Amino acid sequence: MVGLSIDGRAVRVPEGTNVLQAAERAGVAIPHFCYHPALEAEGNCRMCLVEIEGLPKLELSCSTAVREGMVVRTAAERVVQARKDVLEFLLAEHPLDCPICDKAGECRLQDYYDAHGLFPGRFFEAKERREKKVAIGRGLLLDRERCILCTRCVRFLRKVVGTGELGVFERGVRSEVGTYDATPVANNYSGNLVDICPVGAITDTDFRFRTRAWFLHGKPTVCPLCSRGCAVVVESVSGYPLGEGERRVFRVRAGDNPAVNGPWICDLGRAGRRDIDENRLTRMVKAAAPGVDLSWREGIAEVAARILAVPGEERGARVAVVLNSFMTCEELAAAGELFLDGLRLAKVYFADPAPGSADRLLLTGERAPNLRGALEAGFQPRPPDLDAIAGAEVVLVFGPPIGALFTEGVLRRTLASVPAVYFFGSHAGPLDGLAGLVFPMAVPAEKSGSFINVDGLRQAFGRAVEPRPGVVAEGAILAALARALVPSGGGADVR
Amino acid sequence: MSQDAVRLLPADGSSWRLEAYLGRGGYAAARKAVTSMAPADVIAEVRKAGLRGRGGAGFPAGLKWSFVPQGGAGPRYLCVNADEGEPGTFKDRAILVRNPHLLLEGMVIAAFAVGIRTAVVYVRGEYDRVADRLREAIAEAEKAGFIGPGLFGTDFGLDVIVHLGAGAYICGEETALLESVEGRRGQPRLKPPFPAVVGLFRAPTVINNVETLASVPGILARGADWFTALGRPKDCGTRIFGVSGAVRRPGLFELPTGTPLRTIIDDYAGGPPEGVSIKAVIPGGLSAPLLRAEELGTPMDFDSLAQACSMIGSAAIVVIGDRTPIIDVLQVMARFYAHESCGQCTPCRVGTSWIHKAVSRLAAGQGRPADLDLILSLADGMKGRTLCPMGDAAALPIHALVTKFRDELDRAVAR
Repeated sequence: MVGLSIDGRAVRVPEGTNVLQAAERAGVAIPHFCYHPALEAEGNCRMCLVEIEGLPKLELSCSTAVREGMVVRTAAERVVQARKDVLEFLLAEHPLDCPICDKAGECRLQDYYDAHGLFPGRFFEAKERREKKVAIGRGLLLDRERCILCTRCVRFLRKVVGTGELGVFERGVRSEVGTYDATPVANNYSGNLVDICPVGAITDTDFRFRTRAWFLHGKPTVCPLCSRGCAVVVESVSGYPLGEGERRVFRVRAGDNPAVNGPWICDLGRAGRRDIDENRLTRMVKAAAPGVDLSWREGIAEVAARILAVPGEERGARVAVVLNSFMTCEELAAAGELFLDGLRLAKVYFADPAPGSADRLLLTGERAPNLRGALEAGFQPRPPDLDAIAGAEVVLVFGPPIGALFTEGVLRRTLASVPAVYFFGSHAGPLDGLAGLVFPMAVPAEKSGSFINVDGLRQAFGRAVEPRPGVVAEGAILAALARALVPSGGGADVR
Repeated sequence: MSQDAVRLLPADGSSWRLEAYLGRGGYAAARKAVTSMAPADVIAEVRKAGLRGRGGAGFPAGLKWSFVPQGGAGPRYLCVNADEGEPGTFKDRAILVRNPHLLLEGMVIAAFAVGIRTAVVYVRGEYDRVADRLREAIAEAEKAGFIGPGLFGTDFGLDVIVHLGAGAYICGEETALLESVEGRRGQPRLKPPFPAVVGLFRAPTVINNVETLASVPGILARGADWFTALGRPKDCGTRIFGVSGAVRRPGLFELPTGTPLRTIIDDYAGGPPEGVSIKAVIPGGLSAPLLRAEELGTPMDFDSLAQACSMIGSAAIVVIGDRTPIIDVLQVMARFYAHESCGQCTPCRVGTSWIHKAVSRLAAGQGRPADLDLILSLADGMKGRTLCPMGDAAALPIHALVTKFRDELDRAVAR
């Protein structure tokens, strides 16, 4: 450990720490554009210059390692002047189109100007004209007038992803970020470029012009789209400026979890935004009376009655359940208690998406978040046995992935002979039309609970967005079902 | 040993060929070093000689060599900076063309001292014909056993590679030069680590200017004491002063360091042409803040010029006569730095361009009274704040010019 003083505050940090990080540890935020903790320091923005006692010039806090007894001043007059000068240089050639810039409200250039600038402009020359809408890859637009050439994007693609699609071309004030021979940015991590761009130079067409950053409420959760369990932040707007009671998720961006994903997520996880909002089931539907409003509690009463109608000794063989590994550990534990220990069902299956290919960085082949949670809850997950399901009297299907495993025709033939089919799903799919009751279920972002990731790490998460009225989570369904099926006192034997 | 062997530039009319070089006593110093001295003693001799870098920064050459970590099995490299991009400078070109073996001999000695087996000569792109000459000299030396494996009957050897730049001033900055040799965009690296520790292909690397290395054989041949007897105590030996601009006899003059600027201009370069008086002098390449006529007594060595708030830089003396409007000088200067800034770091990228835009407006007769103060303040915003020395190289001469010729510029703006 190395001890040093930053603005008079004593701090001890591990050897090799840079001054910028040490200052953060001491509660002193040093403004910076190009420095990113996950990338090698490049020192090109010159915003993080600080005064170090004994050194004649201002030094880069991002690339200077701490030394024992170092005395750092971040608020000295010449430090503040240097920041002002850098801001003035950056703003001189900046288009100042904040009113139409997606980054406005979460832009470092704005924030730092507010904190360190607030000077009148002295730039009376013609600004460089540059391209403002360069398609550099799937869903990515580059605005070269806004770009401050911090090269975070270039370094990220070279050092983290290893694909290196972006480079800096030309020189001097004409320097610009671009692709080589118009070969676009094409990798599963391209969305991170938008996250790490400190200004509005790289924007995401999925977010562009949709809302303003200051309306967003970001809440952390764990990405459910593979078994890595990356930290993500789900950013949504509820109410104003949307209609009253309206809720929309505008963005899923990377959270920061050094133990799992660092500051990155993959594009698959980022596109999970759509799973939260699009194609959702939002009301109970009873096939026999589609127009009738029904509460999920009434629905559960019907399911419980139908299960109880099967003679106790036959239930184990004649009631089938299809679960999935998108359910939280807590839900799976409840499901285990009810279906395995309580009802002693023999026909318990797991319908998860077919495995995909893993990549070198984060994405795993398992396209569900909690396979290890299912094992922990006592299940031996096996895929649905359609013949066995076809012979059941009551079938409960949780989750839409089954619709991706089998065609609608196969499912229809399988379930045709089953007297009672109940579908608990978050998204519309082929089963909607085949089930007697369809329950609108919450997606992981609307739940709290925990997942166990591919490395066995258990991660708890809270609800990132409020579910729409009427949407219910498996936890509530299972608890209600257990209450109805298991007599009070918690006796397990309901046969 | 003839007197010529220690001169950086041989007498007019003498040949650059190996045979002529050997006739001038060539490669004797390298032979002496490689066959009879310990590497550490070679470094000690060069340190004792007080040889400072001739590229511009003036870092003591022997000290630089001593920074390379000893031991270890990995490769280490010698890079020769023949980028010679500083406006006004044309001395390295002359060494390469007229005395290339002197450079090669200096390289052999430096490589032996530091334990280097591969050297890269980085020649500026515009010098492609010059590079051909160097390649010819290398071929001669290889054939005669002065370059290549097993030199002078020892197991020490040196391979030399000629690498042509592509026309960027910034590649004369040593770390940008390394990037360029590695095949990347030529832009400076963050220091530390310094090239002596992490240099070319991440290996320890010595980077020396052509003239610096060309000074080494003389030191080894005649001893450090001979070298220190020339010039100034803290900046010894001779160097090649390149004089251009408003003089009768522009050219290269090899003189002891510390020779007064006026002596070089008047006695060697023939003074200004008839009817012209000197308005200003750039003493060490465009980046060296210019001196006014009354400062011509300044001795041409590092410390004296530092005292005059300028620098000896590459010792390229550009004489500006009284018929040249200072605004023109400013505009040339501003255009050069804006054109050559690599664009990597903010203050230099925008500062050089902003200054150029303002100066161009001024020169076009659309100046505002506040413009000159603005230019000074922009130069202040660059000074000491950039990633590499080019920020200072641009800011300091512009600042000095505007300050020293404020009257004339004010009149130009008012017009």
